[in-house]
Amino acid sequence: MTGAFLAASAGFRRFLLRCACGAVGLAALLLAGAALPAPNNSAGPTIGVIYPDIGEPYRSVFTKIIEGVEDTSRARVVGFPVGMGVNPRDLAVEIRRQDIKVVIALGRHGLRAAAGLDKNVGVVVSGVLTVPDAEVRAVPVFSLSPDPALLFARLKSLLPGVRRVHVVFDPRQSGWLIKLAREAAKAYNIELLTYEAEDIKAAAVDYRELLASADPRHDALWLPQDSTTVDETSILPMVLQESWNRSLPVFSSSVSHVKRGALFSLYPDNVELGRNLGSVAQGIWNGTFGLRGIVPLKEVLVAVNARTASHLGLDLTARRQDFDLMFPEP
Amino acid sequence: MALIFPKTLYTLLALGWVASAVAQGTEEEDLALIYGDNSTVSIATGASQPLRRAPAVASVITAEDIAAIGATSLGEVLETVPGVHVSRASIRYAPLFVIRGIGGGSQTNPQVLLLQNGIPMTAMYNGDRGSAWIGVPVENIARVEVIRGPGSALYGADAYAGVINVITKTAADTPGTEAGVRAGSFDMRDAWVQHGGKWGAADVAAYLSVGSTDGIKETIGTKTIPTPGPLNTGYDAVDGSLNLSLDKWRFRANYKLRDNLQTGAGVSSALDPDSLGRVEELAGDLSWTDPAFAKDWAVGVTAAYLYYGFTYPTNLMLLPPSVKPPDGLIGGPNQWERQLRLSSNATYTGFAGHSLRLGLGHDDLDLYKAKTYKNYIFVGGVPVVTGPVLDYSDTDPHIRPHKRMVDYLYAQDEWRFARDWTLTAGLRRDNYSDFGGTTNPRLALVWEAAYDLTAKLLYGRAFRAPSFNELYGNNPVANGNPSLRPETINTAEAALSWQARKDTQINLSLFSYEARNMIRLAGISWANATEQHGSGMELEAVWDASRTLRLTGNYAYQKSIDEATSQDAGYAPHHHVYLRADWRFSPDWFAHGQFNWVADRARAPGDVRSPVPDYRTVDLTVRTAARKNDQWDIAFSVRNLFDAQVLEPSLFPVQIPGDLPQAGRSAWVQLSHRL
Repeated sequence: MTGAFLAASAGFRRFLLRCACGAVGLAALLLAGAALPAPNNSAGPTIGVIYPDIGEPYRSVFTKIIEGVEDTSRARVVGFPVGMGVNPRDLAVEIRRQDIKVVIALGRHGLRAAAGLDKNVGVVVSGVLTVPDAEVRAVPVFSLSPDPALLFARLKSLLPGVRRVHVVFDPRQSGWLIKLAREAAKAYNIELLTYEAEDIKAAAVDYRELLASADPRHDALWLPQDSTTVDETSILPMVLQESWNRSLPVFSSSVSHVKRGALFSLYPDNVELGRNLGSVAQGIWNGTFGLRGIVPLKEVLVAVNARTASHLGLDLTARRQDFDLMFPEP
Repeated sequence: MALIFPKTLYTLLALGWVASAVAQGTEEEDLALIYGDNSTVSIATGASQPLRRAPAVASVITAEDIAAIGATSLGEVLETVPGVHVSRASIRYAPLFVIRGIGGGSQTNPQVLLLQNGIPMTAMYNGDRGSAWIGVPVENIARVEVIRGPGSALYGADAYAGVINVITKTAADTPGTEAGVRAGSFDMRDAWVQHGGKWGAADVAAYLSVGSTDGIKETIGTKTIPTPGPLNTGYDAVDGSLNLSLDKWRFRANYKLRDNLQTGAGVSSALDPDSLGRVEELAGDLSWTDPAFAKDWAVGVTAAYLYYGFTYPTNLMLLPPSVKPPDGLIGGPNQWERQLRLSSNATYTGFAGHSLRLGLGHDDLDLYKAKTYKNYIFVGGVPVVTGPVLDYSDTDPHIRPHKRMVDYLYAQDEWRFARDWTLTAGLRRDNYSDFGGTTNPRLALVWEAAYDLTAKLLYGRAFRAPSFNELYGNNPVANGNPSLRPETINTAEAALSWQARKDTQINLSLFSYEARNMIRLAGISWANATEQHGSGMELEAVWDASRTLRLTGNYAYQKSIDEATSQDAGYAPHHHVYLRADWRFSPDWFAHGQFNWVADRARAPGDVRSPVPDYRTVDLTVRTAARKNDQWDIAFSVRNLFDAQVLEPSLFPVQIPGDLPQAGRSAWVQLSHRL
């Protein structure tokens, strides 16, 4: 290991090392300068992905989705980052120039930019929570809101005794999701008790009432991704405190609530979502996919709060493999 | 082809929903509803999460943190951790990790256990991580976990003041290929390439870094040579790693070379610009883990190998001819080690409310070769020049080859004995072939007091094994003592973790310790000479002031008393304040500032010099956000912006009266690119 190098003089060895340093640096620059051509397979479509040009950490959400789209083996993928100031017409010109016939529009920026595309370009939307359903029946929208059916399935697997789920929601934000939840609840033999609230004050009243009457043995509380009814600064601390005191299980559609004390949440498996979007885009391109409307998130990972589980009497020590993320961190 | 026409989208725009959607909030507000704060999105979109092993007072520094603080070496990373201060030895200017007042006052740093991916990196000669870890680059670090307090009940020897676990990147941590270059003050030049991807069915991560620096050249005077001269702190470095994983198997190899390693303020406190050392370390491990080995059983087995060679291709000029005519005092102590560590563990969760972890292992730690070149012998404790430099390896070596075998066994039970209460009890027995056995317990009581508040009470006993040099070294002014016993420490801790608000996390820890049988030079030999006790606290807070601004801060206090004199044990700061701001001032740009205040460092008992001067430093880093593929990232950092004078204490008895000067203002710029 040391032979030849040791035999050389210290000065010469240093010279060699500096050369190596330069060589690695040069290699780095050359590597960096040589943009690798994207795989081009004429058997599949070219998929354009329009996504918000935002900073970290949220940028990772979109880069992971794109990673998944790129996994769609037969497609060539071209990314179009768009900022607030993008001109949809310029984008349309570029997409026409590259002869792209199907586009995945991610996030609000992506959706807005996609609106300016030529009429013959197919569109699939994702990276958003919700789109008012009346307006979007003509395009498939893959929401980042976890499917209530998956939430209820996970709830039942953790707490088989739960029979009722309470949810306070703003119909303007979560109406579409609650419709789905009602159907899903039936399938899991759960009675879904819904409380409509269009402002924080009304939501607070609903929470107080339901927390006072809920039976921790058979009831659970669901926190949807609803900025009105799950206000982070006033509602959430009160709900988490009271439910802890009463040992009422709380689950959420937002992973950050698990960090703060909700029992579990489902959150996007962005790479897997990207793969699905890639398949859908191909289906649109070849005419085999024709569904419209909003679809809840089915590509999910599971986060759990171990200390809340312990507080509720759940022993997760033998089930740690069942969860992708476990709070609290050590 | 049944295409869906965006005509509907135009209609949709006309209806104004998009406008209203944008008006309702930004893109990030949508994502914040899913992920919440920045740290959660980083975890939830990342590939790995910290491991839960045992309750402790711990900090985790992620790759994102490391980029934010503009650190280019492990020492700069650790200075940000509450309760940790990074001082310097005068020899080679090696970093000393001082945790809760313990770890300074020496040329070595054996009271802190450094793990790489969970495996000890301890070189037996000095009992610390050795000089291969000087200037360790950070690009390949996925995260650093720091446990303050004792850890011997799980980790064995040297988990005494604390445990530092450096976890290198896997394929998932570094997808694609990234290359970068950096240049800066002190003629610092670094270049690196790393890659993560697939190799057949296996995940592969590879990393190579080369670099060199001339080091700081502050002027220093010593008693041995009263004429001040520049420090010698340069070195060349090569670091590489390979990480392969396939199903339940994982193979990792890490290589470190520090070449042309200069001697700092000199091995004998005589500035020595011409002597150059060379350290080579190769660490490899093969592990197999099955988290579902059988019902309720998780099992893991690891075999780890370490090669460590420390040589002086250019012999040391211990004393120059002006002090020791005619040719000066010249010496070249070289030694080589190889280590094999076999370990296995099993976790059983079949008893309701219990998680039982069992482990056993065997270490074969072999300093298998030593070579001593010199031009002198000691006569009556005084070095006498004998003529030309000769090989004294057989007749009067600095150390002879020695081997240490360790067998150990441990058990830990995490018992949830009541709602919101968990008791973790652990015990480890180590049998050493040279100094005998030691048993170390650990107890942790954890109370989930409220949904936002956790309280912990911890107790642990730990030990630090005497190094080979302390046991067997042959040096008439610092003789080895084969009858040395391990240093021990008993530590009690209390900790509170409070999620004060959705955007504010506060942690408080209190500690008290008693250290026994501490190994110091007593006359001309090593001995279990001193005892000390200490206490202190650490307070840390994280505040996400807005979606683009995070403020972090910590304050640490400690006081350690030497029991023989009832005076302060010295060297470590009583007060340490660290503040940091991370600001994303545009979607693609970050600015980071950090303030570090090291205060109130007493002298060791008997040292009548005035206290070590306090210092305050400010570092600024500006960088682009880690961009997507095919884009350049740039980072620029100014360290010690106001050019504060930074001094680390020199040892008592005093050879370097003016302490050890550290870097003034410096800067670097970095370019990196991901493919």
